[in-house]
Amino acid sequence: MIQKKVCMVGVFGTGKTSLVQRFVHSMFSERYLSTVGVKIERKPLDLDGIAMTLVLWDLAGRDKHEDITGSYLRGAHAMLYVADGTRKETCDQLPELRALAREFAGDVPGVLALNKTDLTDAWALGREEEQAMAAEWDMVRTSARTGDGVEEAFRRLGRATLAGKETAP
Amino acid sequence: MPDDRAPWEQDSASAHYDGSASDLTELRELILGAERRRLEELERRLEAAGFSRETLAELLPEAIALRAGRDRQLARALAPTVEGAIGESVRRNPRPIATAIFPVLGPAIRKAIAEAMADLVSSINRALEHSISPRGLRWRFEAWRTGVPFAQIVLRHALVYRVEQVFLIDRDTGLLLAHAVAPELTATDADLISGMLSAIRDFVADSFSPEREAGGLRRFSVGELTVMVEQGPQAMIAAVVRGEAPDSLLPQLQDTLETIHLQFASALAEFDGDTAQFAAARPLLEECLAREMATDRTREGRRRVVWLPWAIAALLLALVLGGLALRSRLRWDRAVARLRSEPGIVLTQAERSGGTWHFAGLRDPLAPSPATLLAGLAVDTTRIEQSWEPYLSLRPELVLARARRSLAPPAGVQLAFSADTLRATGSAPLDWVASAGQLAARVPGVSAIDLSAVSTEMPPALAQLQREIEGEQVLFRVGSAALGPTARGTATRVAERFGQVEASAAAMGIRATLLLIGRTDPTGSDSANQALSRERAEAVLAALATRGVSRGGASVSALGTTRPLPAGTPADRARINRSVSFEVSVGLPGKEASR
Repeated sequence: MIQKKVCMVGVFGTGKTSLVQRFVHSMFSERYLSTVGVKIERKPLDLDGIAMTLVLWDLAGRDKHEDITGSYLRGAHAMLYVADGTRKETCDQLPELRALAREFAGDVPGVLALNKTDLTDAWALGREEEQAMAAEWDMVRTSARTGDGVEEAFRRLGRATLAGKETAP
Repeated sequence: MPDDRAPWEQDSASAHYDGSASDLTELRELILGAERRRLEELERRLEAAGFSRETLAELLPEAIALRAGRDRQLARALAPTVEGAIGESVRRNPRPIATAIFPVLGPAIRKAIAEAMADLVSSINRALEHSISPRGLRWRFEAWRTGVPFAQIVLRHALVYRVEQVFLIDRDTGLLLAHAVAPELTATDADLISGMLSAIRDFVADSFSPEREAGGLRRFSVGELTVMVEQGPQAMIAAVVRGEAPDSLLPQLQDTLETIHLQFASALAEFDGDTAQFAAARPLLEECLAREMATDRTREGRRRVVWLPWAIAALLLALVLGGLALRSRLRWDRAVARLRSEPGIVLTQAERSGGTWHFAGLRDPLAPSPATLLAGLAVDTTRIEQSWEPYLSLRPELVLARARRSLAPPAGVQLAFSADTLRATGSAPLDWVASAGQLAARVPGVSAIDLSAVSTEMPPALAQLQREIEGEQVLFRVGSAALGPTARGTATRVAERFGQVEASAAAMGIRATLLLIGRTDPTGSDSANQALSRERAEAVLAALATRGVSRGGASVSALGTTRPLPAGTPADRARINRSVSFEVSVGLPGKEASR
């Protein structure tokens, strides 16, 4: 059985938890996020016949007062960055988050979920901005409400971790 | 130049001993020459037979397979070597062999444990199935309430501790490498728990000890559960223990973790999410699934039993000592009671000290000796100290004893004492009767003596005379009361002898009485016979009076035909009953004489 540790990072309120809620198995309550700062979930995947499990570390969102606990990032095989398309500042902070992830987990693959695509009215990103992000990131447009793109994001993450393994010495 | 020296020898020789190289060669030839030649010979022979090392290496596997297929000779030949090799390997480092055979042993052990567990659970279940003890009912209620099988509830309560789950967790990723769970339990989401455990470990480390490597989380408790965590450089092991986690568990976890680090060193180092290779670590984790039942503690109980003989011995000793003390106490009480109840003894002081008994009081000289009394109670009289003041007891028993001592009654006399009066019964010599009254008056406690029931015996000095007098008889003719010549002679003898009796009796202070008994033959009327018998007795009395017998000393009794004297023929009977016969009796003066 292949297991991979994936950390979900993003600014507070980007909808990380709601994004995966419908797709993963969890036994811990929401409270863990505010107390311990992390909550562990499991997402089984079947990638072209390879059964694997993503063990998701849903990290408490970053806000003005509290940064992400670095040690939770340690050992992660991949990162799932989550940004809120209706709040541009959540995208602006992505490089900082990536720097933090690299500091603790090394140069691991990452997938960006650009969330809340269902809220088209409140969408804050222009076409160019999105294209620029898509060029820089392995990006998936997702919606926690409709579930659009979530499975795709997981599959990309899974593949990324496997690819990482294949290229590993 | 040909030189078969090793390169290092050549170097050093050329550097320092250039001049003496030939000497060295010579020396070596002297020491090692023979061996070298033999080696060369062997090498030559092997090559000649076509067996270079290379060819041997080629042929060996095939040769072994060939021979092994043919017979068991090779196996037999190799067995000691293989055994020796395994033994040596285990001695040097047991781990490789242990690891090799672990997959075989592990399942067998697991199976045995599972069977033992099943037995245990079912036997506990059976034992409690019918139990209606409050505890049994409470557990049943708990089983009903929680929906957990009853046997499991019993097990949970009977457990001292049980290692329920063991996690092997990758240190960096927090991924679950291997997991073992107690046979009768099921565990879900072990991977999530494993992740959360790592997160909590990090959380605790970040929160309370900023230096990441400074120990970290070792142990935490939740209700009945304790989680013990042991951290290694690449993996950590966590055990979930229900009940009182024993101290021995931590070293065991450390040991297991070390073994895993050793056996899975490369797998841990290269771990990239593939946990399949850690399946072999599971048996190691299962070894940590130890448990102890409350029933196992009976062993400790048995150890405690070692004290039981001492306890019993102490108890017995206490019982013996207590018994001895009690017996001593009872003896003492009995002795005191015996002395108190004894007439003639007044106990005024009774003490026990250090095994010696002290008695003091008053004692009538006639009372039995206290020592004798106590000896009768199995008391050790050598340890008795006593002091008695003599006194006279007026207890009836003592007065009687004193009277016996003073009066010295003859064998035929019994004495009794009541209401201040001494009473004598039986028969006694007249002289004793005569003196008894005076003696009794001097006995303290006796105010009167009653001798009326004592019959006196004739003093021996008078007995002969009495027999002679009573052997005499005065016979009469039919219908007559007249004394013939023979009768007068008889009267003379009787008078003379009774005179002697009276004289002797007077000397003894007693009085003698002569009774004359008149009889008739059966002919004639009773009244006539009665009168006739009286006439006959009076006639003899008159004759005696004339011969010196005082009238006061004699009396008559007219029997008529009553109480006739016995005789063979009617004629003889008639003859001897026409008579007067004599009885002599003695008595105290003033009292009626008795025979």
